[in-house]
Amino acid sequence: MKRWWAQPLVRLVVAVGLPLAVPAIITLLIWALPGDPASRICPGDCTGVDGLAERWNLDQGPIHFYTTWISDAFRGEFGNSWQVVTGTPIRELLLPALPRTVILIVLAMVPLFLASALAGLGWVPRKLDPLFQAIGLVPAMVPALVVYALVFLAFGAAVDADAQAIRIKMLAGALILGIADGALSGAITGTRSLFDNERKQQYVLVAQLRGEGVLSNMLPNVAGALVGQLRARMLHLLSGAVIVEALLRIDGLGDFLWRATIQQDFGLVLATATAFALVSSVILACQALVEIVVAWHQRRAPVVSPGVA
Amino acid sequence: MPRKVAILITILSLGLLVVAAFHAPEKRTVDMMAESYATPWQLPPFGADRMGRPLLDYAMQGAHIVALPAVAAGLLVTLLGILGGLVRCMGSAQLESLVSGFREMVGALPRMVVILVVAIVMPLEWRSLLALALVWALLAAPGAMDEAAAVAGRLGGARFVEALRAHGFSRARIYLVHVVGFNLRPVVVRQGAETMMQVVFLEVALSYLALAGQYTSFTHNEETTKSWADLLYEGYYSIALGIPSGHALVLGLGLVAVTAVAAVSISTAARAR
Repeated sequence: MKRWWAQPLVRLVVAVGLPLAVPAIITLLIWALPGDPASRICPGDCTGVDGLAERWNLDQGPIHFYTTWISDAFRGEFGNSWQVVTGTPIRELLLPALPRTVILIVLAMVPLFLASALAGLGWVPRKLDPLFQAIGLVPAMVPALVVYALVFLAFGAAVDADAQAIRIKMLAGALILGIADGALSGAITGTRSLFDNERKQQYVLVAQLRGEGVLSNMLPNVAGALVGQLRARMLHLLSGAVIVEALLRIDGLGDFLWRATIQQDFGLVLATATAFALVSSVILACQALVEIVVAWHQRRAPVVSPGVA
Repeated sequence: MPRKVAILITILSLGLLVVAAFHAPEKRTVDMMAESYATPWQLPPFGADRMGRPLLDYAMQGAHIVALPAVAAGLLVTLLGILGGLVRCMGSAQLESLVSGFREMVGALPRMVVILVVAIVMPLEWRSLLALALVWALLAAPGAMDEAAAVAGRLGGARFVEALRAHGFSRARIYLVHVVGFNLRPVVVRQGAETMMQVVFLEVALSYLALAGQYTSFTHNEETTKSWADLLYEGYYSIALGIPSGHALVLGLGLVAVTAVAAVSISTAARAR
């Protein structure tokens, strides 16, 4: 309790630093690995590597490259896509993609929230755990493949253009993300074990004897851990979103990252990875803020002397 | 699942994977158009693809692609999990801070994003599933270390070691037998098994996406080798276009299921008695 601010402060610092650190680490990697950065970024059939290096600021060392890229990024300039949509400003690609990924993640969180709340209240029967665990073993790509095939059968060539097809793919993608790859079973068992452990605490028994609500007493104490679990789940969903978006052809950040990687569009990869880092930073900052609110709430409680306790 | 059954399934599934990996044909089988889309009863045991190539070769070559990287990644996560548990038992605040810092840093980004970034910055000649699997293992390690540290913490951490020292046990015996063997084993083996399964699924997902976009795979040379993703890709057309390749889909899904069952059975076999 003495240094309650240390952990949230570290998280806030990491949240601020992450979007700066990600392009820095990628830059370091490019120069740290053997070989010429320009020829590695564009291997094989690329011609005019020197011109490419000059155009991409790869010719004046890592510090020049990083500082130029970051200062441009602060102005919302990420350059143009080389391969995925050749010549199109990356900003124009990422601006509509970011909300799509965020919506997908938010929708995927709905079953997880519901499952967590029900598990925390003890309303999910333990007998069903093996079933949820079995469902969790299914990799997201399998149901995603089936969904894409079914939507393709229903909409044919318009599968990636029809508004209703896109809506169905978004909803199905969110459901797949929220259930497959152990997301749902993790949410149920994680939340339940957290509340079960807390219920064993003496203060909960005392609260019950005093006729107070158990949940209202427990919630401030488990809030930090709950938010920690929530953040881990969101990161898990963001990771899964890359595969689900690419398979269902949802034009989100994940799909762009995949296409950029496979087509060696380094500028787009750098910008997309930084966008993912930005989303991750927002989640981290939210966790820090919740921790601050919880600590502030706990410090408002009257101090009980050890003799009385 | 009873423990003995789990041990049996573990031995069978891992044995099958290793045998298939070792005996996988090195080169692509010659096309035999007469056998195109042969069913399992026409060309046992699994039938053939559209070019008449036996699907057995796909299964074996796929096993060859994933076997070593998956096992290596699983072992790395297991080792790092053990390290996380042992650090808690050693009671060193500095070491714990270091491990905690590693966990925060590595755990801050979605794994698939890191994998794709690593794939693009890695020199072409270094690109392989093994490299990606080891990166995946490093990204999965914080979770394993966290869980192992929690188990060691519940055990009593440094006090548990002190108590056993007072009983006259050597440090090596305490750490290797009592801490790792008796207490951390179920957790770290489960984490390792899950990572093995995830690496297999990662390969299938990356290869499938590359196939669907007609691009070069990050994980293997598709000129000579076929992955389990090829089975799903062949089989996908049975749903989408009604082509008679459903047996490839069944085999692909079966291999995915066997991988999941193997991971569960390994975890069950290693659980505390």
